[in-house]
Parts: sequence; structure tokens; C-alpha cells
Amino acid sequence: MAAKPIASPIPVLMYPTLSVFTLAIGLVITAIFFIYEATSSRKNCSLGKELATATGFGSLFLLLASGVYV
Amino acid sequence: MASRIGIFVVFVAVFLSLSSFSSAQDLQIVNAERRIDLSSHIVKAFLTLKVENIGKNPVAEMLLAFPPTQIKHLAMVQALAITGKKKKKTYLPLDVKPTEQADAPNDTGYFSVSFVSPLGPGETVTLEVLYILTHSLEPFPVEITQSESQLVYYRDSAVILSPYHIKQQATIVKTPSTRVESFTSIEPANRAGKEIKYGPYENRAPYSYSPVIIHFENNSPFAVVEELVREIEISHWGSLQITENYKLTHGGARHKGVFSRVDYQSKRSASGASSFNALLAVLPPRVNSVYYRDDIGNISTSHLRTGFRKSELEFEPRYPLFGGWRATFIIGYRVPLEDYLFEAPDGRRYLNFTFGCPLVETIVNKLTVKVVLPEGSKDPSAVLPFTVNQDLQVKYSYLDIVGRTVVVLQKDNVVPTHNVPFQVYYTFKPIYMLAEPLMLVSAFFFVFVASLAYVHIDLNIAKK
Repeated sequence: MAAKPIASPIPVLMYPTLSVFTLAIGLVITAIFFIYEATSSRKNCSLGKELATATGFGSLFLLLASGVYV
Repeated sequence: MASRIGIFVVFVAVFLSLSSFSSAQDLQIVNAERRIDLSSHIVKAFLTLKVENIGKNPVAEMLLAFPPTQIKHLAMVQALAITGKKKKKTYLPLDVKPTEQADAPNDTGYFSVSFVSPLGPGETVTLEVLYILTHSLEPFPVEITQSESQLVYYRDSAVILSPYHIKQQATIVKTPSTRVESFTSIEPANRAGKEIKYGPYENRAPYSYSPVIIHFENNSPFAVVEELVREIEISHWGSLQITENYKLTHGGARHKGVFSRVDYQSKRSASGASSFNALLAVLPPRVNSVYYRDDIGNISTSHLRTGFRKSELEFEPRYPLFGGWRATFIIGYRVPLEDYLFEAPDGRRYLNFTFGCPLVETIVNKLTVKVVLPEGSKDPSAVLPFTVNQDLQVKYSYLDIVGRTVVVLQKDNVVPTHNVPFQVYYTFKPIYMLAEPLMLVSAFFFVFVASLAYVHIDLNIAKK
């Protein structure tokens, strides 16, 4: 039986690097969002989706890098 | 005692001559040699049988008989067919199954061995049978002090129990040391150094049995794990996490009196001869994040040596184990996923891992292996070379909505020869892996929407 090994879709060695980068981007966009929101008074839903994505993926890689392996 | 056994043998012979065993008349064992190894608390017996078909029809299988006391403690029976001469011997594994015979004398247990091809009339075949017995060495005296050596009884028969006529047979018993207190002598029997030879015996009738008792010294570590629960958690993000919960005991002669630490450390060779304080666990090669702890906390007396073919963890419980003492601990480790998870040609995924306990020379009374499959896996099934009890459970872990399916495999009386690979098959759509990051993304999204709403909601009662 020909067996093909299954590995993770993203190389495991890159988990710490990826988590640092995506979290950094996510935090920067979160900061921009809150400053923008405090200075102006307009509803901005689309920007909210962007930074939620970045922070979400960043936290996933942070969890994986620290060994929680969800 | 001997006269009663004699009467029993005569009765069985008369009973057999009246009824007719078709298989017993067809086969005959020309030569049988049995080598029993008593060096550790796991008894290994090697039987070399030369079987001849003296009937008129081809015979497809033969029976191996075991007395009722041994059947309960039989951990494994394997058979090989030997073909070829001295230099060109080939070994073919044969199918061995436990069977029941309706007219078994005195609750004898049977295993049926299927030949490679049915044995024709007049043909002979040489078989090698290995069987492993656990809990068969009975400590006597039952309780010993710290300075005494451990002596055990081994009960067996000088004549091999078989439903067939045996023309010539011999049994050689190997003891771990030269100290043998006594052994039942059934002529011709003699002892030389570490070996006791019973035989050769000629022309014994089927089901003949001559019980013998060997009383000898055995100071090998009687490490018995009463219960072991192994949990293998598969994560498609890249690793396999294995957690093992052990309940370890010393299964030899119970310790009586005080434990003197001074005697134990100063006169180590004379004190606690049958106790053990270190154990060896054989782990997979690329293992990382190994931990060894118990309810109190981390246990630091351990050494890990990683290698290319295997890793070895040499660990010591918090105290040396004497007869009847217990230790409970947890060993956990992580291995990379690509070594053990594969894709079958039909699209299903399967885990290929070793069953059994990683500790060397240890008996496990009750072993439970739980394979935790990732969320979204369907149709789990397990394939093993021996029989186990299978069950399904659900476990809730990190970022779970519906829970993870757990395949539970349970087996009793496990010895190190059970450390063979087994497979667990399941189907999994790769798109389900996206469920976890999407869950985290939506959590953060709700936090931001909530903050937006909080900022823009006006809760003043008075109108500005």
C-alpha cells in the first residue's frame, strides 16, 4: 500500500515567525482602528472585519507556537 | 498425589479409546522439544514440533493444548512453519486462534494452528511455537525481608500436554541463577548449572500430564503495571501528543518488616536483591517535550537519550520498589505528525502507531489505548493483529464545538511482544481545518463590534 505522509499545511518550523508577524500586523491595525474611532464619529464596519482577521490568525499561530496545538 | 494423577491419566486414556477424535488419530508428533526460559518474570516457552500425518486425509490444522491454569495467564501464542535445511531455513508465520473443543478433558484450553497448505498423508512439517505466560512465577516464601533473596515456584508438566501421541520429547528449563532449591524429579531428569533437563521421554499417550514444581531464585525486577491508560491525540496542525498514566507495582514476594535506608544504600548487593529502582522506556525516535510527573509534581530523576531509531527514557520513581509497593506517575511526549499519519490509496487517512507499553520487560494487567481524532473526523475504524475490545467516546478539548471522536482499544495481559504497529482509519475533509482560525477570527470580530456598539449607544434618560 503506497502511503503518503500527511503533514501540516504550513511548515511547523515557521509557526513562531508567523505568529510574531501576524500578531504585529493585527495589533497595528487594532491601534489604528481605535484611534480612528476615538477621533471621528462615523460607523466603519469594513475596517473592523480586516483587523479581526489579522488578530484572529495571529492568535491562532501564537497558540500553536506555544504548544497548545489546537 | 502421583497416584491420583496416574489414575486420571488411565481414565483419560480409557475414555479416549472409547470415543474417537478424528484429528487426534490423523496427526502424530514425531519429535517435540520445549525450551522454557524462566530468567525474568515473563515466562517464554519455545516448542519445536515435528508433526506427521498418519491418517488418510489431508489435515489443514492442528491443536495445541494448555492446562486450565496456564490458559488464564497466556498472553500470546505465535507459530512459525520452518521449511528448508540448515542454511536455507525460511520461517512463515501461521494463523493461531483460540478454539473450544466439546469433549475437552478437565477444562483443557486449545489453540488451533492452521498450516500453510494442508498436510497430506505421510507428510511431516516442522513448527516452532512461542507462547508467553504472565503471573506464572509464584513467590514462595510469600513475604521476605529486605535482606533476603526472592524464591519462586514454577509449576508445569514434564510431559508436554497434547491431544496427539508424542513419540519422543524433551523439556529444558533455564533458570536465571544456579540457585535451585528443589525440583520435582521425573526420571530421567537432571540439572546442570542453570539448566534442568526433563527427558527424553518416549511414546507418551495423548493428554498425559506429569506435574512438576521448580523452586528457584529469581531476582529479576517483577515490574507489573496494574493499569495503563495511553492517550494519543492527533492534531492536523503538526503533532501527535501522547500521555501515559501508569499505576506501577512490584509483583514479587511482599516486603515485610522495616525498610532500612542505611542498609539499602551501604550494602546494595545484599539488601533489596529483588527490588528495583530504575525503569527503561523505549520511545519513538524524534520525540520532544518529554515530561515525567505525578500528583505531587515533576520528578527530576530521569535521563532521556534521543537517537535515530529509538529514544530511551531511563527514569526512577521517587523511592525503590519492594514487593507489594506501588507508584503512580504520568509520562507524556510529543512526536511529529508526518512520521505516523498517512493517506491511504482510497482517500482515508490512517494513523500507524505501536500498541503496547513502552516499558521493557513489564507486564500490563489492563491496557487502554485512546486515539483522539481531530474534530470533524468521520467513520473511525481500527485494524490490529490481535483481538482487543473496541469502543467510541467523545472528548471536548481546545476550540471544540461538537467534540472529538475517541477510539478506545482495551486489552488485558499485555507483554512487550505486543508492541506491534496498529492502524486507525478515518475520513477527514481538509476544509474543516479552517474551522479553528475562523472561530478565533469571529471571537475578535465580536469584541470589536461590541466596542463599536458601546461607543455609539446613548443611554441618557434626559434629552440633550
